[in-house]
Amino acid sequence: MNMIAAEPFDFPLDPACAALIIIDMQRDFLEPGGFGAALGNDVSLVQAIVPTVRALLDAARACGLTIIHTRECHRPDLSDCPSAKRDRGNPALRIGDPGPMGRILIAGEPGAEIVPELAALPGEHVIDKPGKGAFYATGLGDLLAEGGITQLIFAGVTTEVCVQTTMREANDRGFDCLLAEDATASYFPEFRRATLEMIRAQGAIVGWTAPVELIASALKPEF
Amino acid sequence: MSTIKADPYPWPYNGDLRPENTVLIVIDMQTDFCGEGGYVDKMGYDLSLTRAPIEPIKATMAAMRARGYHIMHTREGHRPDLSDLSPNKRWRSQQIGAGIGDPGPCGRILVRGEPGWDIIAELAPAPGEAIVDKPGKGSFCATDLELMLRTKGIENIVLSGITTDVCVHTTMREANDRGFECLLLEDCCGATDKSNHDAAIKMVKMQGGVFGSVSDSTTFISQLP
Repeated sequence: MNMIAAEPFDFPLDPACAALIIIDMQRDFLEPGGFGAALGNDVSLVQAIVPTVRALLDAARACGLTIIHTRECHRPDLSDCPSAKRDRGNPALRIGDPGPMGRILIAGEPGAEIVPELAALPGEHVIDKPGKGAFYATGLGDLLAEGGITQLIFAGVTTEVCVQTTMREANDRGFDCLLAEDATASYFPEFRRATLEMIRAQGAIVGWTAPVELIASALKPEF
Repeated sequence: MSTIKADPYPWPYNGDLRPENTVLIVIDMQTDFCGEGGYVDKMGYDLSLTRAPIEPIKATMAAMRARGYHIMHTREGHRPDLSDLSPNKRWRSQQIGAGIGDPGPCGRILVRGEPGWDIIAELAPAPGEAIVDKPGKGSFCATDLELMLRTKGIENIVLSGITTDVCVHTTMREANDRGFECLLLEDCCGATDKSNHDAAIKMVKMQGGVFGSVSDSTTFISQLP
């Protein structure tokens, strides 16, 4: 058991039953010329965390942690895409439309892939999810139960949408949830800050937060 | 085709707003959260913030009842033996001096059947309105809510209740992922922290309405078909 000086309480990390879950670090959300950029977002804000996420990923790999990557994407025939999600607000670019990196948010298209710096290694899990949360309509819950996982370390994008939705799902399911503060980002920095506050409010009502440096040192093998 | 003026888009997205396919969900308007001597009161927060939505919800509920819309209520609470309470949720509640299951001024805190756990009298459910008892912040996790919504053919969900950034937001995110079309009524929600309330409202509206759309009770009632 390695204690992490997290907020608002210390987080007792048990690497044997912990997993790192990296949310939606996909080309369409991160790269210039992707879907996120095409919608007018400043992707440099989310691109900036790639090295920090990589440092956390390296530490987790060295420690032998279970590693899970998620991707938001849909089946090519859109049978798993609710029309309320696709048509809401009459957007210029819809899910499934041709985009700068293939069809937008469609499994198998280049834009839906994880950025090369953080690509999954053999043995790591990749969860494709149709929603913002990684538990709904996926095998994540079963995978964690089978692996005896009770603690989740979160990183990825965007903080207030997919990271926070998944953290809320995990919290209701009884997992100890720790968000790596500097390994998560949003197109809107004020939303990242607000999300960190919401998570820690009322005695960690959604979970704990800590910087990567502290998490990584707790993951170092002890000699 | 009828829609409600909302931000960032007129709601619902497809204009299909009818009593048969639309429900008002009133989230956790329980004594523990907005009554004197309840859980939130005991935590030392300003009770006026969580009591603010009572009158707007009452008006919205009355308008929807009169037109035959579905109404549902939720209550956060646990079994008396706490077998549905995760250890880390219990531990965290103890850290802030309001341990779930511990004796409080209105009975055992957040335990089903205790006085503090019940819905406040001002917003008491009418006969025939479903009440969903939930062990988590979200109303879908470990409950029969989705089954009831699908069975009744409900597509549109109007969200109200407390707190905005915790149980209302978690439920809205769950509903949104399940394909339900969600509207949050800003003045029918409240939070123990005003800035968290404001941020939660703003988050809904981003990216063309990432979780749905936002309106208020006055607009909603005046435009409700």
